[in-house]
Amino acid sequence: MEKNYNNIVKGLAVVAVLGLVAYIYQLYSGLIVTNMRNPFSWGLYVATWAFYVGTAAGGLVVSSAIYLFNARQLKPIARVAALTAFLFAMGAMIILLPDIGRPDRLYNMIIHPNFKSMLPWDFIVLSSYAVVSAIYTYTLMYPDIAAKGVKLPFYGVVGRKELTEEGLARLREESDKKAKRLAPIALPLAILIHTVTAWVLATQFARSWWYGGVLAPTFISAALATGPAIVILASLVVFGYKDKMEGTYTLLAKVSAVSAIIMLFMYYNDFMIRFWWHNGRDFDALKLVFTKYIFLHAVEVIFILLSAYIFIKYPKDPKKLVQGSLSVIVGVFAHRFLLLPPAYNIIPLRVPVIMHNETVEWSYPIAVGQIRGNLNNPEKVFVAYWSYVPSIVEIAVTAGVMAFLVLAFLKLVQILPVKEVEQ
Amino acid sequence: MRKLGMVIDLSRCIGCRSCAVVCKIHNSLPPGTWWQRVETVGAKEHMIPTGEYPDLSEVFLPIPCQHCENAPCVKVCPVGATWQREDGLVLVDYERCIGCRYCMTACPYGIRQFNWQSSDDSFKEGFKNAGFEENWFKDKEYRYGYPLDHRTKDGRLVFTLKRPRGIVEKCTFCVQYVDQGLLPACVRGCPGNARTFGDLNDPNSEISKIIRGRDVFKLLSDLGTEPKVFYIPPSRKEGKGGISYGKKL
Repeated sequence: MEKNYNNIVKGLAVVAVLGLVAYIYQLYSGLIVTNMRNPFSWGLYVATWAFYVGTAAGGLVVSSAIYLFNARQLKPIARVAALTAFLFAMGAMIILLPDIGRPDRLYNMIIHPNFKSMLPWDFIVLSSYAVVSAIYTYTLMYPDIAAKGVKLPFYGVVGRKELTEEGLARLREESDKKAKRLAPIALPLAILIHTVTAWVLATQFARSWWYGGVLAPTFISAALATGPAIVILASLVVFGYKDKMEGTYTLLAKVSAVSAIIMLFMYYNDFMIRFWWHNGRDFDALKLVFTKYIFLHAVEVIFILLSAYIFIKYPKDPKKLVQGSLSVIVGVFAHRFLLLPPAYNIIPLRVPVIMHNETVEWSYPIAVGQIRGNLNNPEKVFVAYWSYVPSIVEIAVTAGVMAFLVLAFLKLVQILPVKEVEQ
Repeated sequence: MRKLGMVIDLSRCIGCRSCAVVCKIHNSLPPGTWWQRVETVGAKEHMIPTGEYPDLSEVFLPIPCQHCENAPCVKVCPVGATWQREDGLVLVDYERCIGCRYCMTACPYGIRQFNWQSSDDSFKEGFKNAGFEENWFKDKEYRYGYPLDHRTKDGRLVFTLKRPRGIVEKCTFCVQYVDQGLLPACVRGCPGNARTFGDLNDPNSEISKIIRGRDVFKLLSDLGTEPKVFYIPPSRKEGKGGISYGKKL
């Protein structure tokens, strides 16, 4: 077991380092090393950002539910949940760095923010969420930190205080009270991070695949499907499966399953409306999903349904819990990736043309931004369709960030008192 | 206050793409980047008529930046690097843009172009792919185009020869010329005189006179972006190329 664990840590470290190398390479060469181009200007990084924002929510929703909805079953995993919230909120901000053409100018976000744009709002909400989840985690852990201290590498134990039994009990009570006060701040923030992230996309009239009111609720339900799954995986890593925690896992699995089904309902509700009119940009975006991206769409639907089935049928089997969590993560990630192709490949500027006595919408092509091919075999300069597949560099950077988050989690779990002392 | 705009007469456009080339040269566009596009409506390739014989049509549609009054790109820019000047030009501050490309997502006209690699690299690659052995300008610092940096009155860099990497750029209506009282390069370079540029607020300007009383249309007007580029629809040409080969001959 110990050996296995070490191998996993080593593997993750290698992936994280490779990701860093890939990022440095990208910084050196420019975003040309990605497969994004002018007609398809956001790619895997932005999809992963939306995904991380979703996974980040689960944490504080779970922790705050303890106090807001009196869900006492969740108490033992509150600390782990709050920790994952913090890590994924950080992850969401980190993964946007490689997407930015000039990260050296990011300070402009602070000195010249344009509050008509949704992006500064997203930055504010995400960073507040990261701060609140860090405070929340600290508040929950504080009594144990005071009792035992935190053992930092190369530094030794810090934060330890001489406490009597009574003092410790008082601290625990205080921590509980503070958490109760933080919960009403944490939950709305958790909802807001998805809403604002969805609004970044949903406000774009030019992109019919996103535009509309249904995107934000879908984001929230997708977050409530993956969030608990991440918390399940994280707590299984920390605590293992204990019979005493049966209720905790069952509740998380149920929340995930119900949210997954609600998400698919909202998704297909939107499809129905696009389908019925059977014409125009909204319908064409849908058509693209069911033709060129049918495989990706099948992945999202099948894996999300599979996870809901597993979670409802076997909420008490640890192996099945892992399978269900992984399957909802795969499904929702595919869902997130599918945000992009139908949005960009339906070119907003279309001109109706009559061909064979039928009106056809002709898309005005966009300059790629790079000379491709050579003199004898030139490739198109202007294209109306860009089949985007992430490049190796993009995949390496994304995987690197993921590995880094998992590593950070494993390390923090070792250092911090995430396990509640049994009373 | 001036409101600068453009009107393009589609009956006069011959699809020669001179505007695009002139624009590229004057504005020092890197290889692969085009601020100005001209396509044949409905065709897979430029200059191929659409429809079925004998009902063929060949309409050319040149598209510069529309300099919208209600520009989505200005609204979404998180740092205000894209803004609308008082005279109506929508410009990009090359020194403030962070390269998030949100504006490219927002622009419904597909105008905006990102600098995916450094100016040097993209020219080197462009030369190589075009089959030049030297792969490079003789003087590596040389760039075609207007040679000076151009800043607006409040000091924002809106034109420079060597474009920084990782920023978004787009048609500026040739702000470096307009500020000196000259016309944009595409207006001057159009062999059919299809384009007219001027002040929309001045009732005596040429552009106002052309637009007045004419059926002009704007692209994607249903989106409410209120473009300041107006199009005069192409008139139907009788016979071959508008020339009647009747019995008179």
